[in-house]
Amino acid sequence: MSADQLVRPERPATSVVHRARRALGGFDRRMLPVLGTLLTLAIMLGVGQERYSTDRVDFVSMKLLSNLLVDNSYLLVLAVGMTFVILTGGIDLSVGAVVALVGLAIAQMFTAGLPLAVVLVAGVLIGTICGLLIGVMVQVFDIQPFIASLAVMFLARGLANVVSVNSLKIDDPGFSALAAWNITFGEGRTSWRINASMLVALAVLVIAFVVLHHTRFGRSVYGLGAGDQGAAINLMGLRPARTRVWVYTISGTCAGVAGVLFALYTKSGFNLTGIGMELDAIAAVVIGGTLLSGGTGFVLGTGAGVMVYGLIQVLIAREGLDSWWTRVFIGAVLLAFVVLQRVLAVRRR
Amino acid sequence: MSMTAAPGRTTASRGAEIWREVTHHGLFWPVVALVGLLLACGAASPGFLDVTVRDGHLFGQLVDLARNSATPLLLALGMCLVIATGGIDLSVGAVMAIALAVSLTYLDAAADPSDLGTVLTAVALGLAVGALGGAFNGAMVAVLGIQPFIATMILMVAGRGIAMLVTQGQITTVSSPPFKTIGSGYVLGIPMPVVIALVTFVVVAVVVRRTALGMFLESIGINREASRLAGVRSRRTTWTVYVIAGALAALAGLVYGAPTMAADANNIGLMKELDAIMVVVLGGTKLDGGRFYLGGLLVGAMLLSTLERAVIIFQLPSQTTPLFKAVVLIAVCVAASPTLRAMLRRTRRAVVAAPAPAEQVAA
Repeated sequence: MSADQLVRPERPATSVVHRARRALGGFDRRMLPVLGTLLTLAIMLGVGQERYSTDRVDFVSMKLLSNLLVDNSYLLVLAVGMTFVILTGGIDLSVGAVVALVGLAIAQMFTAGLPLAVVLVAGVLIGTICGLLIGVMVQVFDIQPFIASLAVMFLARGLANVVSVNSLKIDDPGFSALAAWNITFGEGRTSWRINASMLVALAVLVIAFVVLHHTRFGRSVYGLGAGDQGAAINLMGLRPARTRVWVYTISGTCAGVAGVLFALYTKSGFNLTGIGMELDAIAAVVIGGTLLSGGTGFVLGTGAGVMVYGLIQVLIAREGLDSWWTRVFIGAVLLAFVVLQRVLAVRRR
Repeated sequence: MSMTAAPGRTTASRGAEIWREVTHHGLFWPVVALVGLLLACGAASPGFLDVTVRDGHLFGQLVDLARNSATPLLLALGMCLVIATGGIDLSVGAVMAIALAVSLTYLDAAADPSDLGTVLTAVALGLAVGALGGAFNGAMVAVLGIQPFIATMILMVAGRGIAMLVTQGQITTVSSPPFKTIGSGYVLGIPMPVVIALVTFVVVAVVVRRTALGMFLESIGINREASRLAGVRSRRTTWTVYVIAGALAALAGLVYGAPTMAADANNIGLMKELDAIMVVVLGGTKLDGGRFYLGGLLVGAMLLSTLERAVIIFQLPSQTTPLFKAVVLIAVCVAASPTLRAMLRRTRRAVVAAPAPAEQVAA
C-alpha cells in the first residue's frame, strides 16, 4: 500500500474521463503552457516549410536555426533575465533603455581609447547598476516594480541622450574582430555558423537553467512568486529580501550583456534603439510559458519563446509586409498568450 | 515654573499643530517645489514672471507654461482615475499618436478639410478611437483580469505600429484652420489648450466628486472583491475608467498635435506616459490606488512644465529632460515610501532622546 492510497482512498474508476485523468496523472500540468509554445513553434515551422521551401533549399534547416540564434541572441539574454523577475511576480520595463544606454556608453568608451576588456566589463556593469537600483527601490522602499523600472527606463534613456543623440559608430579593431568571429559549417546554400554572441546567449541560458532549477537561490525565486509576500519562503529559511534585490540585479546585468551583444550586432550605439524591446522580452517570456503572476515557468520555455518571436519576424519579412506590422503582430501574439494563461489559470481553480 | 510655561506652551503647540498640518498636507512639498522653481527661473531669466496682454491675448512665459501643462493635465486626469482603481495606463502616449493619426488622415482624405462639420467629425473620430483603445484596455483588465501594466503595455507598443498603419508610415500633414484652433486658438485671451484642459478638469471633478463614482473608484482600488460584494459594479466601473482614460488621452493627442497639424506616428506622445504618472504622483496621489486628489493634478502639471522649462532656462541640453523627470519621480516615490518615513522617525527619535532632559522641557 503506497502513501498516496493512505491519504486518499481509492475511488472506483467509473468513467472514461476518470480513467483518462488517472492515466495522465504523471503529467505535470505546469508543462501545459510550454506545450502550447512548442505547438505554436511547430505550426510556424510547418507553415514556413510549406510556403517558403524551394526544390533546392528547405526552410527548416540548421541555417534557419543558426540565423534565428544570431539575430536574436541579445533578446534571448534579455528574456532570460526577465524570466527571473517575472517568476518572482515582478516586471522590468527598463531593459530596452538599458540596451540603448550600454550601446552608447560602449561606443563613447571606445572613442575615449579604453581597452576592449575594460569597455566590455564596464558596459555590463552599467546594466548591473541599473538593475540594482530597481531592486533597492522595490525591496527597500516598497515601490511597485513597474513604477521603479519605468523610472529607471527614463533615467537610462535620459542618460543615453546625455551621451549622444546621434548614432555613434564603433570601429575598435578588437571589437570588430569579436563581431566578425565565427565558425562556418557546410557549403553554399545550406551552410550555417556559430558566432560569439550566440555562444554567450546560450551560455547565459544554461547558467540560468542551473541556477533556477538546481540551487537554493532558484527555489527562493519561485517561492517569491507564490504571492504571499515571501511568507512561505521565510518559513522555509530562505531569504526573500536579498533574493528580490538579486533578481532585478540579474535582469539588469542581462540587459547589460544584451547591450554589448546588440552593439556587436549593429557595431554602433544609438539612443533610440530598444524602444519597445521590453515588450519583446516580456512577450518571449510569456510565450515561453511563464505565468505573469509569478511562481510558474521554465527558463528553457523562454528559449522556445524567443524562437517563436524570431520566427514571427522571419515570416513577416518573407511575406514582404512592412516592418511596423512586426510590432502589431508581437502585440497580438502576446495578447493571445496572456489570454491563454488566464484561461488555463481559471481552469485550474 | 510649569504654571507660567503652560499657556505659552499651548499656543506654541497649537501653532506647531497648524504647521504640522500644513507641512503634512500632500501638496505642501509640490507647491514649495513649484514656487521655488518659478522664483529660480525668474531670477535666472528676468521678465520670466511677467504676463502682458497683446492683441487681447495673454502673453508671457507663465502663459506658455500653462499652455504646456494642458496635455499632461488631460493625460493625468485619466491616469489618476485609473490609478485610483489600483491600475495603471501605460498606453496613453500611443493612444495620443493613434487618435491624431486617425483624425488627420480623415481630414486629409476629406474634400474640404476646413469645413467645420468635417473638423468636428474628425475630432469625434479621434476621441472615439481613443475610447476604443481604452475599452480594449478595460476589457483586458476588468473582464480577463490581466495585470493592468501588461494589458496596457500591449497597446503601448503595438499602438505605435497601428498608428504607422493608419498613416501608411508617412508623417501626415494637413492644413485646416478650424482644427488648428484646438491647439493655437484663444478664448477670452486664454490659450485654447488651457481652456480645454480646465473645462475637462472641472467636468471630470464634478462627475467624480459630486456623485458616488469617486468613492466607488477608491473602494475598488482598496479591495476589488470586497467592493463587488458591497454592491459596487466593480467590473463595469473599472471598464468605464479605462474608456475615459483612453478618450482623454485622445483629446490630449489632438490638443498636442493641432498646432503643427502633423501626425508623426513614431514621435507624438513618446514618453508621455511618464509625464502623466509624474503629474499624478506630484499631485499627492499614491500609486497603490484607493485614494486620489484631483486638485493636486493642477499643481503637478504646472510643476512638470516648469521643470521642462527650467532645464532650458538653466541652459542644460533639452534632451536631458527625461533624466531630470526620472530623478524627480524616483525622489518623490522614495520620499513617500513608508520605509523612509520609518527611518526618519527613528533618527528623529534618536536625536530627541540623545540630548539632556532639560532641553526637552524647554522645547
